[in-house]
Amino acid sequence: MTLTAPKPTSAAARRKNVATQREIQIKKRYIARLRRGDLLETIVYFSVAIVLALFLADGGATYFLSLKDVTTGIGIVTGLVGSDLMLIMLILAARIPVIDRTFGHDKALAVHRKLGKPVLYLILAHMFLLMIGYGIAQGLNPIAEAIDMIVNQQDMSIAFIATGLLIAVVVTSLVIVRRKLSYEFWYIVHLLSYGAILLALPHQFTQGMMFAEGTWARWYWMALYVGALASITIFRVIIPVASSLRHDLRVSSVDIEAPGVVSVTMTGRDINALRAQGGQFFTWRFWAPNMWWDAHPYSLSAHPDGRSLRITVRDLGKGSARLLSLKPGTRVSFEGPYGIFTDASRTTKKAVFVGAGIGITPIRAILESSDLDPLEATVILRGSDAQDVYLWQETYDLCVEKSASLRVLVGHRPKGVNTWLSAEAYSKGESLLTLAPQIKNSDLYICGPTPWTDLVVRDAKRLGLQDHQIHAERFDF
Amino acid sequence: MRARSAFFAGMGSAAIIAVGWQAGVGTLVSALPESQASASGTSNSVSTGTSATTSNSSNTTDSSAAAPAAATAPVASGPADGTYDGSVVNTRFGTVQVQAVISGGKITDVIAVKLTDADRKSIQISQQVAPMVRSEVLTAQSAHVANISGGTYTTQAYLQSLQSALDAAGFTG
Ligand SMILES: Cc1cc2nc3c(=O)[nH]c(=O)nc-3n(C[C@H](O)[C@H](O)[C@H](O)COP(=O)(O)OP(=O)(O)OC[C@H]3O[C@@H](n4cnc5c(N)ncnc54)[C@H](O)[C@@H]3O)c2cc1C
Repeated sequence: MTLTAPKPTSAAARRKNVATQREIQIKKRYIARLRRGDLLETIVYFSVAIVLALFLADGGATYFLSLKDVTTGIGIVTGLVGSDLMLIMLILAARIPVIDRTFGHDKALAVHRKLGKPVLYLILAHMFLLMIGYGIAQGLNPIAEAIDMIVNQQDMSIAFIATGLLIAVVVTSLVIVRRKLSYEFWYIVHLLSYGAILLALPHQFTQGMMFAEGTWARWYWMALYVGALASITIFRVIIPVASSLRHDLRVSSVDIEAPGVVSVTMTGRDINALRAQGGQFFTWRFWAPNMWWDAHPYSLSAHPDGRSLRITVRDLGKGSARLLSLKPGTRVSFEGPYGIFTDASRTTKKAVFVGAGIGITPIRAILESSDLDPLEATVILRGSDAQDVYLWQETYDLCVEKSASLRVLVGHRPKGVNTWLSAEAYSKGESLLTLAPQIKNSDLYICGPTPWTDLVVRDAKRLGLQDHQIHAERFDF
Repeated sequence: MRARSAFFAGMGSAAIIAVGWQAGVGTLVSALPESQASASGTSNSVSTGTSATTSNSSNTTDSSAAAPAAATAPVASGPADGTYDGSVVNTRFGTVQVQAVISGGKITDVIAVKLTDADRKSIQISQQVAPMVRSEVLTAQSAHVANISGGTYTTQAYLQSLQSALDAAGFTG
């Protein structure tokens, strides 16, 4: 009697095999991204270490030998570390592709924002400590020393102005978080930070040793300054302008999806070269009167088909409302694509997509772009009424095509309960787990109003999902 | 950041700082007590013969009268050989004074009598910057040389003192 092992020829078995291949691929990609992230973070730590090492190599430790010099020593160190971190802030805001692909645009900016206050404090400490330290050396009180610095010392007056600009930038950024100022005002003030950096430069040459000839410090700081300013110029100016010219986008149609919501389709050259993914966003500028000076971020609401790009916008404010009157033929320039609210950030095979209101539109696009096997995805949509479930028909069709399960929760939230569910779903005892039973082994993508998003994230964490499984896109800055 | 990477980042940073510390030990030692002496002595590396240079660091301006020139060839009208004291220049980091050594119508050496020494940092800057300015001056044969960034005060005062010495010598380059 001979036994031959049956070959795994059945379709199901083959699919299983392919599925594990895919799983391995996703894991590999995820690990690679983690490594890249660790490497980039390590570089930041090293940069601070290098600054301290250069200071020590230059005999910096001598400041700490006598009480008289300690203030000056700390004052110099805070200035050096502050400058280093300020340049790292610039680099984080420069939208360098490798940083965007590793952390996502939003995380990079979150770190940028987090550094703002500490950098200001370091620079202020630098200023005050040196006023005291040099004051002691000269036998002057700190105020007299400051006046002496401003009046008599080369480049110090503009260095003081630079500090003033820096204070303005940080304070307006803190206020904007509370939305007391318009975005445009904040933006203009924010440009002053470049002024602050440039005005602070000369005193680093004439007063400090950062650029002293024949030192390693000189090379380090030159590389950092040139690198930071060059990356801003290249990635925020040259590439966007070149890309806008090359792709020559024009509005081809404007379709009303619901009251106050339009889809704008733009057609151009060589769109595949942008390698945009559903779920990514661009910052758009429409060259129509009354609009051209105002650029806004909007996510793609469809996977690019090689000829056109589509966004879907709700009139949440003045700028977005103007898009309702956009005319076909309008020229469009853009920055992007940005973000990793896409298939690229997957850590596992299964996925759950949760969207509310205008947040449904990137959810629809990422669903379209994602590599999903049948029955691997669950889509949950929320709207306060049926009309608010934007792009509903398209999303439904995509779910059918991908055999994804679709749940739609319509209606307001229950009064007095902190939940992201509709009152109806809540009373039926629904939850993330009943709506998407596979959720614990899935990636979770969420897009909707921030307080609502936070509630979904809260529930996901209660179910035991890890941070790396949760991907949320926030539409506010 | 994952724990293992955080560990490496921390260790790596510590190592970088340690290397910097190690490299700084040299300056640390030299900046200790006898730093003053070394600060003003940096430039006697090449003592190009001629007059008894270093010894006569008397601060009083004994300028031109120093060497009786002798019958040194027909170069004629050029400045007389000798060591000329420059003026004392005050800066916020201390006073600076140099001497110019003229021989055969050329600047053959510049000797730092006193350099900025207000604190350890300025001593260090002096030590680093003075030899650079000196060699620039010897090459250019003039006090009009580029500023050494990071040591602006020392450079400017050094050159100012040097210029007055050259003026005293009647040296016109
Ligand atoms: C990465 C990203 C992707 C985005 N994708 C889309 C998209 O696909 N479709 C889309 O319609 N919008 C999207 N947005 C939001 C969109 O950019 C803003 O709504 C728009 O820029 C607002 O500009 P405005 O001039 O119309 O409003 P402003 O005049 O700046 O604001 C007017 C008022 O509207 C409120 N407001 C503005 N934006 C929001 C918001 N998002 N939620 C709640 N209240 C708000 C403000 O609080 C303010 O009171 C996205 C935002 C980001 C950051």
